[in-house]
Amino acid sequence: MSSLYETQTAFLDYLMNQSPQFEQYVVGTKRFNKETRLGIYGDAYASRLIEALQDNYPATSTLIGDCKFIKMGQHYLEKYPSKHFSVRYFGHQLSPYLQKYYSEIPVLAEMAEFEWALRAAFDAKDQTPSTLADLQAIPIERWGEIRFTLHDSVHRLDLSWNVAKLWQAIESEEAAIPAEKAEYPIAWRIWRETELKIFYKSLAVDEAWALDAMRDQLCFADICAGLCEWVDEIHAAQRAVTLIQTWIADGLIVDVSID
Amino acid sequence: MHNKLPYLGFGLGLRKEHYTDILETQPAVDWFEVLSENYLVPGGKPLYYLDKIHAHYPMVMHGVSLSIGSSDPLNMGYLKQLKALSKRIDAHWISDHLCWTGLNGINAHDLLPLPYTEEAINHVAERIQQVQDFLGRQILMENVSSYITYAQSGDMTEWEFFTEVCERADCLMLLDINNIYVSAVNHEFKPEDYLNSVPIERVQQYHLAGHSDYQNYVIDTHDHPIVPAVWQLYEKAVARFGEVSTMIERDDNIPPLEEVMQELDQVRALANKIQTQQDEKVVKS
Repeated sequence: MSSLYETQTAFLDYLMNQSPQFEQYVVGTKRFNKETRLGIYGDAYASRLIEALQDNYPATSTLIGDCKFIKMGQHYLEKYPSKHFSVRYFGHQLSPYLQKYYSEIPVLAEMAEFEWALRAAFDAKDQTPSTLADLQAIPIERWGEIRFTLHDSVHRLDLSWNVAKLWQAIESEEAAIPAEKAEYPIAWRIWRETELKIFYKSLAVDEAWALDAMRDQLCFADICAGLCEWVDEIHAAQRAVTLIQTWIADGLIVDVSID
Repeated sequence: MHNKLPYLGFGLGLRKEHYTDILETQPAVDWFEVLSENYLVPGGKPLYYLDKIHAHYPMVMHGVSLSIGSSDPLNMGYLKQLKALSKRIDAHWISDHLCWTGLNGINAHDLLPLPYTEEAINHVAERIQQVQDFLGRQILMENVSSYITYAQSGDMTEWEFFTEVCERADCLMLLDINNIYVSAVNHEFKPEDYLNSVPIERVQQYHLAGHSDYQNYVIDTHDHPIVPAVWQLYEKAVARFGEVSTMIERDDNIPPLEEVMQELDQVRALANKIQTQQDEKVVKS
């Protein structure tokens, strides 16, 4: 008599690797033989997870082609079987996977990175955005010490391909547009306003740097100093304030504080 | 843990396709069953709609990730999140499936059947007790559809296994009437034998759904309207178990809310008719 653990090991091995050992654990009938019975579970394992992957990556699937996506999904499943209780997180390694195994089509990994960031923004933690009044409540002489906390939904990406345009065309079911590589990577931010609306926007180089600096917990004075790479020293503080006002208006900042 | 859980009436599975219609039309649904994992997320749209709808309707939670029969340790992180969600929506009860879903840290995301053995009964009953202790409440276990028969199950039937687990763990039962029918076809038993064997006092909820028929076997797809054979079985369940909270569980191919509401009205009418007939029998006798 096999133990429960041995039985389950054999069953999972059948699902993941089609190992025939599990057949000995099962009895069939003439009408419904054991190969067909086992096949129902075997087919369901891959198809359910690939369907979940496709739900999270609809544009990546369209780009590669739905049939090829299924083939790719089977290989991805072999490399990265689900280890989370929720199937929602099954695709968390898709972008690095595509970078490694589909390097000849580099737009795929970038599209997957973009879609995963949209997915993460979708159900990121709800947080109350800071207001200009929060900023103004801090005495001006101490502004140099201010550190900021970004909303959990804020994601920064650097994309070499026209991924956002491709995604928009696929999402809107517009005519297909060609994948095009930019001369240099473009910075993007993805974020969610209130509980429901997700946005993405391309960024100027200095805005991208400042946003990254804010995420890295640099204080206002250091952000101003860093911006001097793009603007005159006398305009750096004004540029920083303008950026922060924009980010506050977009709901990107959830805490403004001094030590 | 013997507080009687309430009778909630006739409910639906909460599906994202119906969020806005529910809020705009406030349909006459007595309660909603929510898929726990859909709301075990940090925030955003799922929890936004959950809170809005919860303001108008009682809710219960139904999970797919407890993996109560697995040989892996219980996932305490999952249980903590489950408990927090139950508080957020004042869940009347929490249910999951009598199955296992993964092993060695790998999740198959399928409701895999258990062998009907003494070892499995002990294992599952003990774990249900641990879960109930942690959650501080009785949970409901649901019968799954199955397609394989384990050689080691011997002569033990599914309903004997299910009953023994629930008795030893002192948990409640969620009877999926469709799943009973699916397993009855696939394993060639009489579904009435199943219904007539489970203890009346443990049955807290029903699921009703449709399935896909492949002639020699049927697959529990939960993507069709309730079929005649399941309606008939439901009638028999109502006659035997009396007033039990009932809901339609549609997991795929989700129709418009209005269509599911019409089906729910049929469920309600049938249950009331059978219940009235039963009451009349009691009066006559």
